[in-house]
Amino acid sequence: MRVDDVPRGWPPGFGAGDERERDALLVLSSLQGITPRRLRRVAWDEGSASRCLAAIREGRAGSRLDREYADRVDPAAVWAGLEACDATLLTYGGPGYPVELEDLQHDPPAWLFLRGRPFEAGEQRVAIVGSRSCSALGREVAHDLGRRLAGAGVHVVSGAAHGIDEASHRGALAAPGRTVAVLGAGIDVAYPRSNAEMLDRILASGTVVSEYPPAVPAVPRNFPARNRIVAGLARALVVVEGAGKSGSRISVDHALDLGRDVFAVPGPVTSPLAEVPLALIREGATMIRGADDLLDDLGITWSPLAPPPELPAQERLVLEALTSPIPADALARDAGLSLSDTLTALLGLELRGLVRGAGGRFERTLRPAGGG
Amino acid sequence: MYGRVLGVTVLGVGGHLVTVEAFVGRGLPSLTFTGLPGAAVQDARERIRPAVEHAGLEWPLRRVVVNLAPGNLRKEGPGLDLPIAAALLVATGQMKERTVAGWAFAGELSLKGELLPTPGVLSVAIAAARAGLAGVVVPEANVLEAAQIDGLRVVGAPTLREVVGLMKGSWSPPAIEPGTASPEVDAGVDLVEVRGQQQARRALEVAAAGGHNLLMVGSPGAGKTMLARRLPTILPAPTREEALEASQLHSVAGLLTGRGLLRSRPFRAPHHSISTAGLLGGGTTVFRPGEASLATHGVLFLDELTEFRRDAIEALRQPLEDGRVIVTRAAGSVEFPARFTLVAAANPCPCGYHGDQRRHCRCPDHRIQQYRQKLSGPLLDRIDLRLRVPRLTKDELMGADGGESSACVRDRVEAARERQRTRYAAFGALCNAHLPGPIVRRETRLGPGTEDLLARAVDALALTGRGFDRALRVGRTIADLEGADRVAPSHLAEALSYRTGFDGEEDLARAG
Repeated sequence: MRVDDVPRGWPPGFGAGDERERDALLVLSSLQGITPRRLRRVAWDEGSASRCLAAIREGRAGSRLDREYADRVDPAAVWAGLEACDATLLTYGGPGYPVELEDLQHDPPAWLFLRGRPFEAGEQRVAIVGSRSCSALGREVAHDLGRRLAGAGVHVVSGAAHGIDEASHRGALAAPGRTVAVLGAGIDVAYPRSNAEMLDRILASGTVVSEYPPAVPAVPRNFPARNRIVAGLARALVVVEGAGKSGSRISVDHALDLGRDVFAVPGPVTSPLAEVPLALIREGATMIRGADDLLDDLGITWSPLAPPPELPAQERLVLEALTSPIPADALARDAGLSLSDTLTALLGLELRGLVRGAGGRFERTLRPAGGG
Repeated sequence: MYGRVLGVTVLGVGGHLVTVEAFVGRGLPSLTFTGLPGAAVQDARERIRPAVEHAGLEWPLRRVVVNLAPGNLRKEGPGLDLPIAAALLVATGQMKERTVAGWAFAGELSLKGELLPTPGVLSVAIAAARAGLAGVVVPEANVLEAAQIDGLRVVGAPTLREVVGLMKGSWSPPAIEPGTASPEVDAGVDLVEVRGQQQARRALEVAAAGGHNLLMVGSPGAGKTMLARRLPTILPAPTREEALEASQLHSVAGLLTGRGLLRSRPFRAPHHSISTAGLLGGGTTVFRPGEASLATHGVLFLDELTEFRRDAIEALRQPLEDGRVIVTRAAGSVEFPARFTLVAAANPCPCGYHGDQRRHCRCPDHRIQQYRQKLSGPLLDRIDLRLRVPRLTKDELMGADGGESSACVRDRVEAARERQRTRYAAFGALCNAHLPGPIVRRETRLGPGTEDLLARAVDALALTGRGFDRALRVGRTIADLEGADRVAPSHLAEALSYRTGFDGEEDLARAG
């Protein structure tokens, strides 16, 4: 049977209903060899999770390793693990399963583990993705997008990784608002470990989901699969920063397949981190300059920030001269001030949150002069 | 059959007068040492006889006992070869006791009787002058360093034969040629050659004026090393005492051979693979000063600070705090001066391009964190100035103005140092960097508006107590450079611009 001949989604009631069916699903969720696409084909042949598992055990489907692995998994232990971390099991089409994921044509997840606040029908979600090693500016843009979206009641979806992911989650938490973290590891695994504290905070108000049962370690090959869920959950996807060949590109491809809106934040043409967003804009993604543009395009109303107060003359001069990241001495020349006066003005602007130092240069922050 | 001459042994940097006695008596031919001879002195036993015979002199086929007094002092170094040989020659009547009186001898002998370059000759000369001796006989190669001491007759002899000739009056030494300039002076180096990087140049000036240690963080090619090399050119010229102390350390390390006093401040740039002993000094029997001591009154430049062995970096805390190093081994312990300005350079992250405009850094956050954690807090606390040095683009380099010359900057630095000397006469400190935190807080007078700015900065920038002290110290130096009595807001603002080398340092501090 070719992939195209497989009906959409999963057979009705797959993995749901009785305990035997649930246990079979838990075993299937623990398999590491078989891909969701292949499993889905078997599922349509067999009709239910328990029969799927039987097919694998009897060698009619999956590999020898799958078979051996399936024999070793104890569904009771997986269930105990889920209960221990207070996670629930969502099955395709079942209660609590986000309908948006049904848009994934080839590989919607048949199951999803969820901790924290359950999904609700009709809630608005926007995904923010980007580079793990991002610039200070990218971090700030993602943080601001997260904060403004969450502040407007939109749920922010991201991957809980370092960099842009982390910044957008933290922005949403700062709003304060809701955010959804999609893990590429087991539902109870804090990865990267330094984000454990952030995941705890997300759990307190938002949602953590994963396709992987408890204790599955994070392996890079899971991350592209995770990205399809990030794209699937959201109605729109924003790319903040990404160098060529990055994971952001995979998320974007999923979003395009799903017919989601794709937004991109541009950067300097010389910056390697602007590679993906600029390429996307050229291919037709919507360019946004920040949260205002995004909220406008999403049709969400927002009130403009307070007008900027007056700046002291030298600080105004310096801020006006500050058009691109520039070392302090060059800025002094452009502003026509001494280095000492420039540094004084820069400190004043920094204390107001209008300017930041990065890489030995100074650049403007996102905040309009005096706002925020 | 008895002879007695004076020699000098060098322990640490100090020379100590040693009386070398030789007795030739009946018994099987042998040579015995008494009086705590160290390993290098024991070695002399086999060297001296061939040297004496090669010089055309006679070695007695009798039992020879050599005593080194005082007996409680350990004698180290090969410099005692010559006095031992001389004592023997006196004992056997080949030199006259009254001719050697008033001289101190120092030098290592070869089997052919040549006098080899010997470390520590400057210390020998200082000890001899202090003891009121009339002159010293040293190897020809070391004559310039010994000649720096006034009121002392210095003779450089090529071999043992000339030493005997000198005492007989049959050989007279040639006049001493004035020393060549020491290679420490990078004659071609001047601050004027640095294009752009005004802020880094300014940080160098502040470091020189206040004696502050400096950390430069920047991508490869930003010019950190080039900048660091020019710091000695704007430091005030060394006083004679400073030059003497620095030269003495170089002499003990055997680095002054063929040269006179150091005329400029030393610049030491050890490679990052250096051991703790190499950096701080060590050795098992003969103690040798480390790079930290050789940088005394000058600059110790540690390029790639994060690549240095952690224990070596940690051990730098003592000299940074006390201006000296104490080396302790089984053979005893020795103190070396080590008061230097530390200039360190580091990449912002393992790949070197974090925060760079044109190259993308691929280091994961945790690797960057780990990398920065290699620099211990206690060491960073002793670095007042931290600066991010950007890699300039071609346009920025072309558009940059040329700066002032080193001489120009040095004039301001000297004036600022003078202000500090008069102000701190009561505290025993010479410059702002050496002032303890409580005194900084008490003594620094703030101008109108500075207090207010400081309070805002403490809040908005999450300044720690130590960061606060550092800002005050550096602000004080900047005010000194301007000749101002009070620290104005602009001085403090500039000082605060030198507070972080790594981006996001404060964010990390706030999160933690």
